[in-house]
Amino acid sequence: MYVGQAIRRREDERFLRGRGRFVEDITLDQPIAHAAFVRSPHAHAAVTHVDTAQAAAMPGVLAVLTGADWTAAGHGEAEGVWPVKDMSGADSRTAYRPLICVDGVVRCVGEIVAMVVAEDRHQALDAAEAIEVAYEEKPANTITAGALDPDIPLVHPAFGTNEVMVTEHGLKEETEAALANAHHVTEVVVPTNRVTAASMEPRAYLGHYDRVNDRYTVWTTNQAPHIVRRYFTKSLHIPEHKLRVIAPDVGGGFGMKLYHYPEEGLVLWGAIVCDRPVRWVGTRSECLLGDTHARDHHTVGRMGFDENGKILGVKFETLAAFGAYESQWQASITNAYHFTMLSLAYDIPAIHTQVRAVYTNATPVDAYRGAGRPEAVYQVERMIENGAQEMGIDPLELRARNLIPPEKFPYQTALGITYDSGDPPVLMGKIKALADYDALRAEQARLRAEGQWMGIGISAFFDMAGAGPVKMMNDLGAKVGCYDVASVRVHPDGRITVFAGSHSHGQGHETTWSQIAADRLGCDIDHIDLVEGDTDRVPMGIGTWGSRSLSTAGMAVYTAADRVVAKAKRMAAHMMECAPEDLDLADGEFTVKGTDRKLSFAAVANASYHSGDRPSDLEIGLEETSFFDPADCTYPSAIHLCVVLVDPETCAVTLRNYWAVDDVGTVINPMVLHGQVHGGLVQGIGQALMEECAYDAESGQYLSGTFMDYAIPHAEDVPSFGLDAHFTRALGNPLGAKGAGESGTIGAPACICNGVIDALWHLGVRQITQPMTPKKIWRAIEDAKRTQH
Amino acid sequence: MAGVSVTFTVNGREVTATVDPRTLLVHFLREHLKLTGTHIGCDTSQCGACTVHLDGRPAKSCALLAVQLEGAEVTTIEGVAGPDGMHPMQAAFKEHHGLQCGFCTPGMVMMGIDIANRHEAPDEATIRRELEGNLCRCTGYHNIVASIAAGASSMRG
Ligand code: FES
Ligand code: FES
Repeated sequence: MYVGQAIRRREDERFLRGRGRFVEDITLDQPIAHAAFVRSPHAHAAVTHVDTAQAAAMPGVLAVLTGADWTAAGHGEAEGVWPVKDMSGADSRTAYRPLICVDGVVRCVGEIVAMVVAEDRHQALDAAEAIEVAYEEKPANTITAGALDPDIPLVHPAFGTNEVMVTEHGLKEETEAALANAHHVTEVVVPTNRVTAASMEPRAYLGHYDRVNDRYTVWTTNQAPHIVRRYFTKSLHIPEHKLRVIAPDVGGGFGMKLYHYPEEGLVLWGAIVCDRPVRWVGTRSECLLGDTHARDHHTVGRMGFDENGKILGVKFETLAAFGAYESQWQASITNAYHFTMLSLAYDIPAIHTQVRAVYTNATPVDAYRGAGRPEAVYQVERMIENGAQEMGIDPLELRARNLIPPEKFPYQTALGITYDSGDPPVLMGKIKALADYDALRAEQARLRAEGQWMGIGISAFFDMAGAGPVKMMNDLGAKVGCYDVASVRVHPDGRITVFAGSHSHGQGHETTWSQIAADRLGCDIDHIDLVEGDTDRVPMGIGTWGSRSLSTAGMAVYTAADRVVAKAKRMAAHMMECAPEDLDLADGEFTVKGTDRKLSFAAVANASYHSGDRPSDLEIGLEETSFFDPADCTYPSAIHLCVVLVDPETCAVTLRNYWAVDDVGTVINPMVLHGQVHGGLVQGIGQALMEECAYDAESGQYLSGTFMDYAIPHAEDVPSFGLDAHFTRALGNPLGAKGAGESGTIGAPACICNGVIDALWHLGVRQITQPMTPKKIWRAIEDAKRTQH
Repeated sequence: MAGVSVTFTVNGREVTATVDPRTLLVHFLREHLKLTGTHIGCDTSQCGACTVHLDGRPAKSCALLAVQLEGAEVTTIEGVAGPDGMHPMQAAFKEHHGLQCGFCTPGMVMMGIDIANRHEAPDEATIRRELEGNLCRCTGYHNIVASIAAGASSMRG
């Protein structure tokens, strides 16, 4: 059995030897031209004049293109894959992100106004600098809180409001009643900071048009290549069968590389206009500005407890930033992944949430690892922490009293979602032991007596991973079917190619999908190759996002492999003159049960293609495809616990320990699983302590345009991690596997913030916004001193 | 463009080229020599994806002009494996799952080799401190640290 083993990754050697093939590495037999862009330096402005004459005459320049050219060519915009709907069910006030400014108004810094295509990179950049654009500045607002207040400038005046839509979910009256009757009510104001994925590989695109054969090709840093074709049907009006999308090696995505970015459409447009392949590779500044941003919620929450600390009800009011435009998957957060998960790992009888989505003059927000769930966990867990502290109940004990007990599974939350499986009390027991919780509390008391500030943070949650099923996700607003696809092709020599509609950009599918296939096919893992990321080779796919690939594409591999085996058994049975049910398949051989009669899988494969001696109703060939629609989402769960030390002199936070206990169902490869958890944790730690996409409130200027200003964690900022696991089987897929890609980012921000608050509670500190920088911590302590005196 | 001629050694082979004086070493390696294992992850010399060895010490090839390298000896990720397989540091990254997307990986391996060259048996704190010039967004560093410790130990043999 390969499943369950820490098989070393089959993809590693090419990366380790410098032989990865990223979009920037692609070479073609024609020379590739370069694109450069002119971007708005203003958060909100009318574009009154664009003068391209000088740039067009510069050396090496092949084309200078503007929004007017785009409109004249009849091109459009990319439609939402997960568009917003408000409570009335009507389409909301939608303004999709344009590829290039076409209506004479720019609504955030970085919006593209013109494109240059030139022979080389320097020529393109020089010419872009020579384009003169006249702007008339307008008032701008980049701040989410207050975006609906009177006097705040409107991002899209035609709508008459900055509100995109309103949604409400849960039990309104029951929640009001629970809060009214509660023994204790905790109230918090919890903004979730705006961050961005900052994958180490910048976004990059290469467009090519073959005029003779009327075929288009795009090489793209994208996580869902088949969906890219769908965007192009609306942006450049290219029929799906004419466009080949190749997502080769991609250097991290984290959700951020799911979208149809302006540059992706524009390089192909440039290639068509210039009749030359055209490439753009983002600089880090362009990416930190133009990659979708994430989170940016402003939430007011109230949680009511009885006298034993049992949660009776929770109410949330959230403003969710959209930025200047709606990005294609935006409502997967507001309409699907945020509200559904607000019960976390707790048995809460009454929950009500209202979300108002708002436009601001900032970069569009879309899904980033966790998408709505990090916000949900932060919002709920901050209230639980403060409630426990206020009531004088040990924070772990108060949580333990509220966990969903195992006998309540499948558990339907107050928001209507049903968690199929889980056992939160076991996770709690394990993390308590792993961290030696009681000893930590004793240490904390001892250090506090010495004037040292140590805090213990906890968070406990469920995740909704593995989107679909198709119908459920349609009902939550998805316009793409959330299934996935795999083909298993057995070659006549018995070796196998698997084609999958998922896309690995760090997840290790070449290893894990092969583990699944090898077990089903009873063959050596080295007899299997995987193909992903090419729409001309893979039949269809919905891509890798939302911790979904294992329970959709992985299960399609499983199912297609089983169909191959069923067909091969019929051929083998014919050859061996027995019944298919009498055959076992293992180690590359069919064996007649209870005998030593054997026939190699390779011989059967060869006969499947080349022998006329076959059952009359058995089709030639040995290849099967599965479009796998899972029976349910998967609901992984986890509990995190950390220790922070806050330096009383500098207010710097040291994250001393971090433990996580995950329930991700059946594990395919524990090494890969742990890697996923580690990586997510550090992104969550970044959100809690360091990262922020900041705008100047006055001018709307973007302040986080380099890695000097946007702080992602270094190795020295984080500890090594202590991980443990407990497995309950998922019910919605044959392997019983649950998604595992997002647990770290979902749980870490809340856990760390609770730890810092715990460290400072005795000083009167009740809330500090993320990222919890030394300056903010110092200010919170000073403010607390002042209010106490 | 007035080209400037420059001669230096890359992975043991002498290279002579006439280059636009503003050409960065990283672009020269990637575009002229097609050594695309050296990556570009930032504009401000922060990420370390472009790390190579220059006369035996790590250097960020995004912060050097090709014309500065007259007579120098450069080793890239493509030049570290021996004829009979991967360098021990490369092997350690595979064994300890020190990479996910692989984009930061060449820079991490080049830095890891240098850490091992300069420290007898680097402990976790040393490795973390030494990685101040290299960013990874996938692994959370846990397994990179383990890989470098193991690679350093097998380099000592
Ligand atoms: S490319 Fe980032 S440091 Fe050189
Ligand atoms: S492995 Fe992806 S950035 Fe390090």
